[in-house]
Amino acid sequence: MGLMILFGLFFLGLIVGAPVAFAVGLAAVGTFLYEGLPLFVGFQRILSGISVFSLLAIPFFIFAGELMLHGGISTRLVRLASAAVGRVRGGLGMVNVSSSMLFGGISGSAVADVSALGSILIPVMKEKGYDADYAVNVTVTSSIAGVVIPPSHNMILYAVAAGGGISITQLFIAGIVPGVLMCLALAVAAYIVAVKRGYKGEPFPGWSALIISFAAALPGLMTAVIIVGGVLSGILTVTESGAFGAIYAIVVTGLVYRELRWEPFKQAVYQAVRTTSLVMILVGCASAFSYLLALYSVPQLLTDTLLNISDNPYVILLLLNLLLLGLGMIMDMAALILICTPIFLPVAMQFGMDPIQFGIIMMMNLGLGLCTPPVGACLFVGSVIGKIKIEHAVRTIWPFYLALFVVLMLVTYVPAISLTLPGYFL
Amino acid sequence: MSSYSDQLSDQDVETRPQSPFDRFLDGIAHFCIIVAGVMMVFLIITFGWLVFGRYVLNDTPTWVEQSSLVIVVYITCLGAAAGVRNNSHLSIDFVREGLPQLPREIMRYISDLFVTCFGFFMAWQGWHLVMENLSRPIPMIGFSESWRAAPLVICGVLMVLFSCVNIVQRMLKLREV
Repeated sequence: MGLMILFGLFFLGLIVGAPVAFAVGLAAVGTFLYEGLPLFVGFQRILSGISVFSLLAIPFFIFAGELMLHGGISTRLVRLASAAVGRVRGGLGMVNVSSSMLFGGISGSAVADVSALGSILIPVMKEKGYDADYAVNVTVTSSIAGVVIPPSHNMILYAVAAGGGISITQLFIAGIVPGVLMCLALAVAAYIVAVKRGYKGEPFPGWSALIISFAAALPGLMTAVIIVGGVLSGILTVTESGAFGAIYAIVVTGLVYRELRWEPFKQAVYQAVRTTSLVMILVGCASAFSYLLALYSVPQLLTDTLLNISDNPYVILLLLNLLLLGLGMIMDMAALILICTPIFLPVAMQFGMDPIQFGIIMMMNLGLGLCTPPVGACLFVGSVIGKIKIEHAVRTIWPFYLALFVVLMLVTYVPAISLTLPGYFL
Repeated sequence: MSSYSDQLSDQDVETRPQSPFDRFLDGIAHFCIIVAGVMMVFLIITFGWLVFGRYVLNDTPTWVEQSSLVIVVYITCLGAAAGVRNNSHLSIDFVREGLPQLPREIMRYISDLFVTCFGFFMAWQGWHLVMENLSRPIPMIGFSESWRAAPLVICGVLMVLFSCVNIVQRMLKLREV
């Protein structure tokens, strides 16, 4: 009965459109009351869920991402990508994918990626004769790389939701190869579609232009090097790296690029506060919720249910992927990471999957959900920038979905793709 | 970046008639964001100081870690309360918005009730935690643990206020129609 109250209130909250954090929180409160557990324990868990040292990195990453958005780093990255790969057929599609790889790697957010790069690239692509749906599709699907390529604040959420026993550094390193593979697969898909539609390449601007654009983008690119390098070298913790990265981003955008003025700075702070508070209140409420999930042994119940369907690990892993994909289509990424990790991770581990590998798979699945209807934040933002209807974009997006799905299956069934690199580094 | 963690659109913000009372509530929400913003910048500066102190001065400021853990609770709670007023929390709206007007309106009331109830419990239990921890100091900084729980009370009260106003305004609007 307690479990029914927990999930009943949660789903009721979701269906009526209540904020996810409060649907999760009130479901936990209702269950605490039903079970006769002291209510202050639930709120103590909410408080301790927010007061976690490694979670402090999240506001820093978000703030650094906002500074890049408002401080001119994204423009320079696009120029660099354009000079490097623009001459290939369907060149601007390639520019889009490679810019996402560079920018996503720094900001760690798919929506930031779409808003920053989409607002630069989609209008240019349309102007050069590319169809709007192609421009939108390449932009939104390549943005997912941002949640897999380090640094990614979603990975910190996953590590915390997993109970804190997973190394964030290992997760960061594990995301590199799958992230690059995703970009390569998307570049191939973009090329094939470009050839089919007869798009031309851009003229090569010359080696000197390439070197100049690289030099201009280098200070911005160094943000990622500082954040990831600080963690990998062991000199800084993830939180300290995040703060250092944010300070460096202020210096680069304000003093080197001279594009960060008072207004954009205020805007960056405002957006960072807003996003941070929305994510962190969700983290707190999910902490009380996952306490009850553990109390009712929900992971064990799910494992038993899945075992009734099949005891073949390959089938179970496919089912987990499909479940995550389905959930990703209707719910936001942060909420799903916090709610699903305590349920699905023990199941995946019981079937022999490494928690690091599962983390990467979860990021990819939920990332895909960001560009699928009905609740796809990236798809919404991309369609608004491209000034096309979502249905129009979705009709021709399948080659890109297919490319990402192939990589997802590779990462699921070939553990070496995500686990080899962390093994070399640590 | 919401991510939202990734959803940041303002698509759900309803257009409100700007009465003085509305402007007052908007002002409170805006003030919450400003305070949280100042705290965010302070947080970044203190971490810069932490790294500088450790590697340059060879004297790690030990207060930074514990004070940051308290500050982040304030940023979260103030931002979350303002989010109720600005309607910027992550939610799933497509089910509700796809329904006819009557069930849609009923669901909006239930949604506001969710926020009101949770806000009430948050304020009540937050107050309980404040009173319980008055004499328990936070390690390294010496402040009472009650300071960590206090934002729950502030956030809870503001959530109840903002969501109750939403309910009343919706009822008044319905009566006008």
